[in-house]
Amino acid sequence: MPPCVGEEPRPNPVLAAQQSRPPELEVDEAPALERALKASEEFLKVLSQGYNGFRPKIGGMVPTSGLAIGPEFVRRDIAQGQVLLRTSARVSYRRYSLFDAEFALPRLGGDRMFVNLLGTYRNLPQLLYFGQGPHSSQRDRTDYRLEDTSAELTAGARPLKRIRLGGTASYLRVNVGPGTLAQVPSTERAFTPATAPGLDRQGYFSIVGGFLEVDYTDLPGSPRSGGIYSARFRNYVDQRSGLPSFRRLDVDLRQYVSFFSSQRLIALRAYSTLTDASARRPVPFYLQPTLGGPDTLRGFRPFRFYDNNLVFFNAEYRWKFASSFEMAVFGDAGKVFDRRSRLNLHGLKASYGAGLRINAVQNVFMRVDLGCSHEGCQVWLRLNNSY
Amino acid sequence: MAQIKQQLLRAIALAAALSLHALAQDPGPAVYPEPKATPLISVGEIKPQKIDEVQDLLANTWGNPGQRNGKGKTYPAQGLRSDGEVPDSPWYENRQASRRRSIPELVRGPGTSNAPSLEGPWVVVSAKAEGVMPGFVIRDVRGRRYVLKFDPPAYPELASGADMVGSKFFHALGYYVPEDYIVYFERRRLKADTAPQNHAAPREKDIDAALAFLKRGSNGRYRALASFFLEGKLVGPFRFNGTRPDDPNDTIPHEHRRELRGLFVFCAWLNHSDSKSGNTLDTVVTKDGISFVKHYLIDFGGALGSGSIGKKSARDGYEYLIDPAPSLTQLVALGFYVPKWARVRQSKSPAVGRFEAEAFEPEKWKPFVPNPAFLNRLPDDTRWAARQVAAFTDDEIRAMVEAGQYTDPQAVDWITKTLIARRNKIVSAYLKGAASTR
Repeated sequence: MPPCVGEEPRPNPVLAAQQSRPPELEVDEAPALERALKASEEFLKVLSQGYNGFRPKIGGMVPTSGLAIGPEFVRRDIAQGQVLLRTSARVSYRRYSLFDAEFALPRLGGDRMFVNLLGTYRNLPQLLYFGQGPHSSQRDRTDYRLEDTSAELTAGARPLKRIRLGGTASYLRVNVGPGTLAQVPSTERAFTPATAPGLDRQGYFSIVGGFLEVDYTDLPGSPRSGGIYSARFRNYVDQRSGLPSFRRLDVDLRQYVSFFSSQRLIALRAYSTLTDASARRPVPFYLQPTLGGPDTLRGFRPFRFYDNNLVFFNAEYRWKFASSFEMAVFGDAGKVFDRRSRLNLHGLKASYGAGLRINAVQNVFMRVDLGCSHEGCQVWLRLNNSY
Repeated sequence: MAQIKQQLLRAIALAAALSLHALAQDPGPAVYPEPKATPLISVGEIKPQKIDEVQDLLANTWGNPGQRNGKGKTYPAQGLRSDGEVPDSPWYENRQASRRRSIPELVRGPGTSNAPSLEGPWVVVSAKAEGVMPGFVIRDVRGRRYVLKFDPPAYPELASGADMVGSKFFHALGYYVPEDYIVYFERRRLKADTAPQNHAAPREKDIDAALAFLKRGSNGRYRALASFFLEGKLVGPFRFNGTRPDDPNDTIPHEHRRELRGLFVFCAWLNHSDSKSGNTLDTVVTKDGISFVKHYLIDFGGALGSGSIGKKSARDGYEYLIDPAPSLTQLVALGFYVPKWARVRQSKSPAVGRFEAEAFEPEKWKPFVPNPAFLNRLPDDTRWAARQVAAFTDDEIRAMVEAGQYTDPQAVDWITKTLIARRNKIVSAYLKGAASTR
């Protein structure tokens, strides 16, 4: 609608702005907060991407270690990604330490085969031990030092896109010593070789085995549907320590079921470790499967239950309530037992709780879980997904 | 009965009072005399500016930068022609809606004469600084520079296709965008820059490391999007509010620019939820002896169903990155409240990602980050934009989608049908009763 004839047109703010523009124009300086954020982002970028293959490595140790950090050197680019070299050294504030070195050929035979050689040294001075079996008491808490060195060669194939299978051969040397926790007695003071098998001997084992893994999940790291089924068999042969040789089978079954949409899902897991050990020829306690902690029964302390065999189940209901945020409520149940013939659903210990997960780049990079059981509640802050 | 009458009378009186008050506050659509074309003033020294993405997110999520419509104040779009159209400027050029183009012209977009030369190696000058996917800045044998961007390994053609299609559409809609090319190349095409003065150049092993994670086609070649470097001096992104203080020609607050308010509708149509300041770029160009700032939209790798590093999240386009109200609802509902966007059928093609029209409601669409210009849109702005969207025929849409060079014909079908359906919803929402589609 043009202005009426004779009517004074309304002032045009655009022309007014142009006319009132100050003659000397200033550069649009970023505010201090913006500059600080930019600088911190650059710093984090260097931290995560590294420099010349070097970068800090955070976490990746056992529960109870506390926050671990150290340098890592990784080269994935050698021969156009055909060769991987990696080595790291980590120390936690509780003086746990880990050094490892890895050489891998991950894409042999046109991505169909792989070979991996891994050497690891660990010194874990405050691992908890409560005694054998499902009826051990919280009050019997002790600690011990586990120092182990291993070298493992793995060779495998991917005959189909979602299937991996292969074999492993390794050598393991284990040294067990007094723990360093001031609040609890050291294990050798409270237990004997009868109640802590292998306590009086250092272990030397050669191990051969095989594995099979089927993975048909949709998103690695944070699946919304599909399943991962794996089985790993290992034959531990005592070399010179006089400890019993034994065979061990680990079966891990995970299923992810989204319903209505990928925003919510039920994640199920069943895990069992079975050995051919018996009460007369038990697995050394430091090689026994353990129950309790952020990855098994979250309402119990880590390493709460030791025995020759275990079985546990996890069920989680997860729902995304915001971009990058997911809630979960969960229930865990499981038990340890001395003979594999006792694999059944009787006497399961239960825990339950809720957790918050923070996603980045479609992966859970941090989770906080609160797990409760009849032994109290535990809070877990972990830099990985639960399963 | 008397009571009801009395209440009715009170309600009518209240409504009348409110209407009068609103009329007093709202001067109605502003119509100014046609301003004479203001000649561009040559700019002086303009330093590149950076906008931190986190700060941009926080400032726009928790603050209200710029002059906002609402609370009794109405700011109509400024700098318009007297017919309400947006004049040609360094921000915008009228194209498809007012000067119809042929299909080949639409597909050509900003240009097709600067594809990277295959006559020699592409020298990797630096790593791509912005964005989440790895990439390089390369120089071909003719000295032309490009940003080389790759697809996420699990979603071949997803980001490069979206980027390519997005640039064609945004160009046809009137914006300045880079010339993009889909390229296929072998590893040996890339060479590290050995110039001694270029200390930041990736070495051969760095190039290998970046390529190691990428998926190659059955012919062993990599697919990428090569984005031709913009002309002129790059001086950083623009904000969607305020003006650039060092640009004498930038006098209209950006939140009052119709081409930026209406951009909301275009981004909703193309599901370009990553439409933030970080995906804009100003350059200083010289024409007829006058240097001025030209404003570009860049990086459409987050358009259509692409989330740049994978397919879009289901909530993209429906919720802000930080959106307390729906987040709280979904938190306390334990996930049992399932919004419609979470239930709709999606394409199974990895090249499409998440892109649908079933749950799409134009006026409820949201980008990642609240945008002052988008939030300032008025019915005049959205009607203007909807007319631009309505100007695209089904055949034109298909031809522009095919520019994404998808190998899966079903991907082309899905994207085309979705864009047509979303266009129809936009027309229906903003141009009720107007002739819609052809």
